[in-house]
This record gives sequence, structure tokens and C-alpha cells, in this order.
Amino acid sequence: MGIPMAARMIIPMTTRTTDPLPVLHQLFSPAFPVGAFAYSHGLETAIAEGRVADAGTLRDWVSAVVEHGAGWSDAVLIARTAAGEDVADLALALCVSPGRQTETQAQGAAFAATVRAVWGADVTDAAYPVAVGHTLRALDLPLRDAIRLYLQAFAANLISAGVRLIPLGQTDGQRLVLALGPVFDQLADAAMTAGTDDLGGLTPVTDIDSLRHETLGTRVFRT
Amino acid sequence: MRLSAKRRGPLSVIDGLRQVGSLKVLFPRMNEDALTAVLLNTAGGITGGDRFTADITAGEGTTLTLTTQAAERAYRAQPDSRGEVRTRLTLAPGARLDWLPQETLLYDRAALARRLEVDLAADATFLGVETLVFGRAAMGETLRDLTLSDHITVTRGGRTIFADRLRFAGDAQAHLARAGVAGGAGAMASLIRAAPDAADRLGPARDLIGAAGGIGSPAPGIVFARLVASDGFALRRVLIPLIALFRSDPLPRPWMI
Repeated sequence: MGIPMAARMIIPMTTRTTDPLPVLHQLFSPAFPVGAFAYSHGLETAIAEGRVADAGTLRDWVSAVVEHGAGWSDAVLIARTAAGEDVADLALALCVSPGRQTETQAQGAAFAATVRAVWGADVTDAAYPVAVGHTLRALDLPLRDAIRLYLQAFAANLISAGVRLIPLGQTDGQRLVLALGPVFDQLADAAMTAGTDDLGGLTPVTDIDSLRHETLGTRVFRT
Repeated sequence: MRLSAKRRGPLSVIDGLRQVGSLKVLFPRMNEDALTAVLLNTAGGITGGDRFTADITAGEGTTLTLTTQAAERAYRAQPDSRGEVRTRLTLAPGARLDWLPQETLLYDRAALARRLEVDLAADATFLGVETLVFGRAAMGETLRDLTLSDHITVTRGGRTIFADRLRFAGDAQAHLARAGVAGGAGAMASLIRAAPDAADRLGPARDLIGAAGGIGSPAPGIVFARLVASDGFALRRVLIPLIALFRSDPLPRPWMI
């Protein structure tokens, strides 16, 4: 028998008709073509200057960025966008270095373009967390899980950059990703009820690392 | 407090001034066309429950420099209270405004919420600096408990073009000691320049800053620098020449005393 034709036709294409978790994993997988591998968020500066040199200092640097820097702010921007608030200009204005502008604009545009092409969803180019927030709305995906996976992808990408540049063993890198798991959960929980006044953090060194990257002598990463 | 500047011939002069509460403005006699205003907090600092508001307009074609008589002090606040400081700067077409307050010293158990909102005409020139000193190192003071939110928002034609958001609650001493956070720095500064030619001195500015921080242009017409140093004194050694480079003028006198 199946669903009567009339009922089927009123289901918009973007309605969640299947398990949302594989979709979230697809969106935040390293294989999703946002080009994250090209960006170190300034970590390359800290490694070049010898301040990040082993698993301990890498964890300190990455957790500072995730908890008090772009990780937390992106989590809030995703949540606010998913709630329908317009934070598109603010999301770009918050990128205080040219490198962060490049990262968020390039990844946001690539993310939106792929979502448009694959799901047919109306998601326009925007800062990366804003493009993510619009996608969650368009595809009706669960916010908390999305933020957890976004943060894990963000941290895992930085740790992977560290593994290649320091260098570190792959297992050390994976241990760091696992160790940060509770942080992703806490930040996702907090972001669910946060407002734009809760944006920001205090990590002057990682801001400086991002600002200094464009004049670094030899660069493997774009930022 | 409300202050506005207007043009009279080649001079920038006071247009309007209204002072209420403990925030006063002094106008030192200067031998120049620009108007310099020195803000003075007669209460001697900020604590929980305080609310300071300054609304300052640089009228068409004016040049206005703002500084403070002394370092600002954010004292210990009672639990669940905070001091609020809100500064609104408006730059009319052709105006230039330099916002150069001296350092803000954060004491243990300080709770400070500060907002600097700058609205620019397309061809206006803005230079702004905010400096935070975390505890008084010389007195061995440590910051175990700090609640801070420090916002800088720049809009042009109503559109947000730059937003710096500093936010922290907890043991600042332990946080700032982390290599990935501040590497034990006791002071930090943020400098923002917004002007059509904002990025014209990036090279010399980088040379001047050296290892003390980073500077870059995140968007057209915007330059941002973040600096850290062991204490407020060490920070000034970089910050004063950097401000002078962007001003093309010496710093206002209260900085030099």
C-alpha cells in the first residue's frame, strides 16, 4: 500500500525522513569537501616558534582555542543561527585576523555549495558556523549533536595539523581527540542556551598566532 | 557624559558637553588644531553596581583625541554585582577620532562589563586602544577570581564590520599562565584602526611589534593588533611607539607623565 500519494507530496524534500546521525557524520567528516586540512588556525605559528612541541603543549593550545576561542564562539553562532537569529555579519566581524576570515569564509562557502548541490537546500554562502546553522534548519538536524560533531571535527583537524608538523604519532593524536570529548559535550550543552552576549573568550596568544601566520617564513598551511 | 566636537575654521572645538556623576572631562590647552579631551573618573575606580556612560561625537571634519587622566581601576566587586562601562563613539564624515585611554587595572574579584561601540562614516578615521593589566604585579597581587566581558564593536553605516569579544570568569591567574592562552603574560592590549587607508603602515607596525604580538588586516579598511607583555610597563614600551606610528603625532600628555 504505502503512503497515499497526497500525503507523500506534502512532505517537503528537506524534512527529516531518515536517521539524522549519518547525515551529521557526513557533514562533519574530514571527507566533506570544505578543505579544512588547509587551515591550522595559527597553530603552525606556535609550532614554528617552538611553543607547541609535544602532545602536552598541543593539547593545551587546541583546548584553549576550542574552549575559549573560535570553538566556543562557533558553537554559539551555530545555535543562534539554527534558532533563526541573523548573526551573519557578526560572525565575520568576530574574525580578528585575516587568517580566520579566510578560514570561515572559504569553508562556509564550500560547505554551503555542497549542501545546495547534494540536498537541494537553500543555504547561502556565509561564515562557516552560519552556513552550518542554516543547514541544520533546512535539513531539520539535531542541534546539540551537530555542535558536538562540529567541535570534534574542528579539534581533530587542528590535532591532525599538529601531528604532521611537530611531528607526533597518529595514536597520540587520536588520544588527544578522545580526551577532549567531554569538552565538546559541555560546550554543546552551554551553547544551546547561550546568547550573542556570551560570545568570545580570552586567548590572546592564539589570536596572536593567527595574526602572525601570514608573515611566517615557510608555511605548509594557508592559515 | 556627553561630548561633541565641531569645526570652527581650522580648529576642532567643543560643540556640546554634559557631565553627570563622577565622570569628568578636562580640556588641556594644546597648541594644535585638534581637540584633546581627558576623561577623569573622580570616584577613583569602578566597582560592582557602578555604571559609567560616555557618548562622544566627532562632528564633520573634526579631529578629536580622547584619553584618561590616569589608569582606570576595576576594584573588587560584591558577589553578583558588576561595574558597567559603556562608551559610544560616533565619527561624522571626514572626522578623525583617537580613543586612547590609559590602562585598566583589574584587581582580584573585579567584575567588569565594558562596551566600546564605534560608529563610523565611510571616510572617517578611527584609532582605538584598550589595555588590560591583570593584577598589580609589582605588589605581588594575583587574580584568583575575575569576571570580565570587554566588547569592542565597530559599525559602518549601521553594519557591524569588526567585533572583539573578551570574556572570562574564574581563576585568571591560572588561565593566563597557560602557554596556549597568554604564556604567563600579566598585561594585554588590543589596537584597532578603521579608516580607508587603515593598512598603510602594516609593515613598520609589524617591525615595531616584533615578538610582542601580532597585527593584520582582517577586512578592508580594518587593522587589528593584539599584544601581550609581562606587565603594564613592558607593554607600554611597544604600545607607545605603535600608537605614535598610527597617529603620526605624539601621544596625549597624560600618557607621558
